Amino acid sequence: MPKNSWRRSLAEKVSFSISLSIVGIIVTLICYSWISGNSNPPILSISQFNVRQVNSQYYVPFTVINNGGETAASVEIVAKLTLSPQIVETGRQQLDFLSRKEERSGEFIFSHDPNQGELAIRVASYRLP
Amino acid sequence: MGKNQRNRNTRRVSGDTWREEIEEIISGASGGFLFGIPLLYTMEVWFIGSYVRPPILVAILAITFLIILSINRIEGFRPQESETLPGAIAETIETMAIGIVCAVIMLVILKRIDFQTSLTEGLGKVVFEGVPFSLGVAFSRSLLTENGAAEDNGREQKPRSDNRPGYLRDTMADLSATLIGALFIAFSIAPTDEITVLAASASSWWLLIIMTVSLLISYGIVFASTITNYEQRRQQQGLFQTPQSETIISYLISLITGMLMLWFFQKISFADSWYIWLRYSIILGLPASIGGAAGRLAV
Repeated sequence: MPKNSWRRSLAEKVSFSISLSIVGIIVTLICYSWISGNSNPPILSISQFNVRQVNSQYYVPFTVINNGGETAASVEIVAKLTLSPQIVETGRQQLDFLSRKEERSGEFIFSHDPNQGELAIRVASYRLP
Repeated sequence: MGKNQRNRNTRRVSGDTWREEIEEIISGASGGFLFGIPLLYTMEVWFIGSYVRPPILVAILAITFLIILSINRIEGFRPQESETLPGAIAETIETMAIGIVCAVIMLVILKRIDFQTSLTEGLGKVVFEGVPFSLGVAFSRSLLTENGAAEDNGREQKPRSDNRPGYLRDTMADLSATLIGALFIAFSIAPTDEITVLAASASSWWLLIIMTVSLLISYGIVFASTITNYEQRRQQQGLFQTPQSETIISYLISLITGMLMLWFFQKISFADSWYIWLRYSIILGLPASIGGAAGRLAV
């Protein structure tokens, strides 16, 4: 049965209006992120939070955020805990992707108390996708 | 005809129109799930969505729009033909909206989009996953109607009898079809790393949500879809043949099928805890139950 678009039922008109809104919102958001976006390289910053102790292990939460314009791939985060020249613990994590303004959280785990030594957490490297 | 009578008729017609509209949308969404689910369980698509730039997303949306528009000129998810170009354009917008909504729901359910996801990354994932879902919506009638028609013809030639062996035969046919459909999908997804990755981000209560969504989609595909002989299915009686019980039992079959496939491909072993078995099976149970529902359409 042929359907004339100008003689649609109320139900069809409502679903068309909702559909148009959904597609319109998606296109608007893409255009907004296009216009407001920048093409600067990734700027990765990391912040760490209070240490928590569970079963004689020390958990150090961290959050990494990309404040740059481009997406960073294979973001590598390294942590180094130095208690003495003899006692050094390291940790390493990798994130697949970190888009613009995206943040991801995780934790490093040490067997010694980070408060008793010197802890350094930094973003070591990334590559462009 | 009295005024009350006229009002009743108006209400009934209006109600039918709304019911038909909802059924058509559910039919379209069912096709979208059938076509889109394999790409949803593909890690590379999530990654591509993470870094693709907005101009490319706009281009992809535009190309998808043109492809679906050309499909809608001859096919489309609505049974009525879109004869005019404005009609076809309207149906294309509806098709893409259904596909996008289905993709968003699944990406949120599988935790590929959360509050930490940036706008650009979220849009990239939605657009890339929305394309196969939208194509599935556009192809929904061709994907499923043929089986439905074949089924109708088969049933006409072989009328249902009320004796118990007939009930048992129908039950066994449905269960076998679910098993084959679930096996078909689970076999291709079980050996991949996506199950492990998806399971890692799902908490216990989130698994319950995934189970609920699996049941709803399975129910939607087989029983609420206008493209199958659902009226006949709704009237079936006997062992496991009420819509709700058949959906639940079919889901259990899909779950067990998924579990066996995971074990077959060494993704889980007897050394693993029961929670790992359950977790992985529920994650794989989602596509498997969709495959099972598609299988039941072919009975």
